[in-house]
Amino acid sequence: MNGEIITIENVEQFINRLEENTGTSDAQDMDVRAEPSALPKLAELLNKTSALNYNYLSDITAVDCLGRSPRFEIVYRLYSIPANRRLWIRTQIDADAELPTVSHIWQNADWLEREVYDMFGIKFAGHPDLRRILTPTPWIGHPLRKDHPLGGEEVQFTFNTGDIIPQEEFLSEHLEGMDFASYVENGDKIESEAGAGRLAKLAEEGKLIVNMGPQHPSTHGVLRVILALEGENIYDVGMDIGYVHTGIEKTSESLIYQQALTLTDRIDYVAPIANNLAWSLAVEKLLGLDIPERAQFARVILAELTRIASHLVWLGTSALDIGAVTPFLYTFREREMLLDIFELASGQRMMTSYINIGGLRYDIPDGFAEAVKHFIDIFPEKLDEYHKLLTKNPIWIERTRGIGALSLKDALNCGASGPVLRASGLAWDVRKVWPYSSYERFEFDVPTGKYGDVYDRYLVRMEEMRQSLRIVEQAVNNLPGGAWRVEDYKLALPPRDKLDKSMEALIHHFLVSTEGFPVPSGDAYIPTEGPRGETGFYIVSDGGAKPYRARMRSASFSTLQSLPIMARGHMVADMAAILGSIDMIMGEVDR
Amino acid sequence: MDKPNANRSNILLVKLDDFVRWAESSSLWPLSMGLACCAIEMMATAASRFDIARFGMELFRPSPRQADLMIVAGRLSLKMAPVIRRLYEQMAEPKWVVSMGACASTSGVFSSYALVNGCDKVVPVDVYVPGCPPNPELLLDGLIKLQEKIRHGKPR
Repeated sequence: MNGEIITIENVEQFINRLEENTGTSDAQDMDVRAEPSALPKLAELLNKTSALNYNYLSDITAVDCLGRSPRFEIVYRLYSIPANRRLWIRTQIDADAELPTVSHIWQNADWLEREVYDMFGIKFAGHPDLRRILTPTPWIGHPLRKDHPLGGEEVQFTFNTGDIIPQEEFLSEHLEGMDFASYVENGDKIESEAGAGRLAKLAEEGKLIVNMGPQHPSTHGVLRVILALEGENIYDVGMDIGYVHTGIEKTSESLIYQQALTLTDRIDYVAPIANNLAWSLAVEKLLGLDIPERAQFARVILAELTRIASHLVWLGTSALDIGAVTPFLYTFREREMLLDIFELASGQRMMTSYINIGGLRYDIPDGFAEAVKHFIDIFPEKLDEYHKLLTKNPIWIERTRGIGALSLKDALNCGASGPVLRASGLAWDVRKVWPYSSYERFEFDVPTGKYGDVYDRYLVRMEEMRQSLRIVEQAVNNLPGGAWRVEDYKLALPPRDKLDKSMEALIHHFLVSTEGFPVPSGDAYIPTEGPRGETGFYIVSDGGAKPYRARMRSASFSTLQSLPIMARGHMVADMAAILGSIDMIMGEVDR
Repeated sequence: MDKPNANRSNILLVKLDDFVRWAESSSLWPLSMGLACCAIEMMATAASRFDIARFGMELFRPSPRQADLMIVAGRLSLKMAPVIRRLYEQMAEPKWVVSMGACASTSGVFSSYALVNGCDKVVPVDVYVPGCPPNPELLLDGLIKLQEKIRHGKPR
């Protein structure tokens, strides 16, 4: 069944055969092609047929195959969470054709389709609100098309003095009906009018429209939330994102794989190491590499410490947002200990790029294990301290219990993952269902909540920190010796002492540093469990040393779309608690 | 026996300008505005270990009306540029801007269509702090440099 083409005529047959074969290993991980016209029916049957139950849309993205006809390939990735199955649907389309929407089946397709439209210019017929989502409203062009320039300004050297186009000129050319200076003057008004979207109509019905952000302390970055209020109660919520859109996916296409890895640090900047891991795993899958055990264990240690560090930032800031100032000072105290460990390993506090393609960037230094063990010793006590401050605090309970509840059905329909999904009652953790990087060898529990409210999300994350600590303890106590990077010097830098003795090593070192290494053509995606949920990179290679297309499946992007469901009916002041409990990182939403 | 009142008999003689500058530099109120990665380091600067309060700056204000120091912490996207300009205009005089990190100063490791390469194209910058992201020590150093700059007098 893999690789077959589904048309409008044979879609029902396909579904029937799929139903019969649900038990086979073939059906666990499928990859099919579909004609655009067959999509709506296929999507509906996959979702509604109870034996299949593809209830989770992980991602929709596109690849621009310029010069080929049809030009674009659209990729849908669906999960059947109850049955633990994955399905890829690929479809091809030309630039001027329209694709039918699936946003009425999976709610998070709303933003995903808007992003594909914004980045590639592919229109979705039947989409309720198809407009730009990441780039500014007057932008001309679709950035991820191969014929769209990267933009930016070159670095000036003596050889190119005078040839450089100032960036303002580039930006002015790409803004419709205005130049850079006038956009800076008037852009605020343009964006707030465009961003209000469907909520603008509610003003006529007597609702009060209140704008929150992009400069607001509780939006955790630069998110614009538009509230339609009925008195003090939230009637509806709209969101406008893109305020920290960086074009990382486009920039990666012009960098070799190791260089692009350094950009992944800056996508989810509260958990950079988790991104390094996701990127490395995807590239390693394309390369077909086996990673030494020592590196795998070190990766697990670092990824789990990153999860703790990320949850500490969440705990401190989300408590701060609803008035509890003390936890912020406490959590950052412990976070500094973790940053010291990262600095010890890599020389950098935050943007470590320490997990690298093929293993680690350097060997684990002396004193690393001791530092980690010291943290394991002291942290449980600190965790109890946070619990003492908040868990039974009547004000905290009043502000969080019963607030922002999200049912499991809605959570899955919005593509929520990570702690938000688990707080709604489902123990779905990528580390358990599709283990990677030797996670299957560690014992840990997956905490879940019951009501899916802010308080449950708080408890789930608190417990996750304890479980992460368990994993770290097992990994650091059994840390194997030996190689910490693949010993294939066509892919990884040879050790420093070899450079003095071997001409071959020197050549490899030079080539890997300057030209990178070719990656076999094909595509790969490995889901990982980041601190915010399912995180992974979909990488398409054309056989060169640079990714042809690099797409990040960011957990926050999907989870954030559940905000309106969580917030409706609550008071304005609860917005801070709800936003804090989603724990989105705007760098990851906007990329 | 009457004790001379120590407070009443002392005289402090300074130029008004110097006094005002000393006062301004000693209690800068930053705008709590974070754009990206650097904002996390800015939070670390405000938290317990680095404790920005030692320099009279712990009062991060979310409203631009109450702030006199804008720390542009992170990459500045084109879509955000008008917002930054608006916020700067809403801040009361006298006001200062610190460009924190490589992205805010030059767009850093990124070179793309989405970013403005340097927040000085949108707001006037007093101090540039290098780093990606700058360590809290580095940010504090930049802020001390700004205090020196204020004490030496900013042309008004």
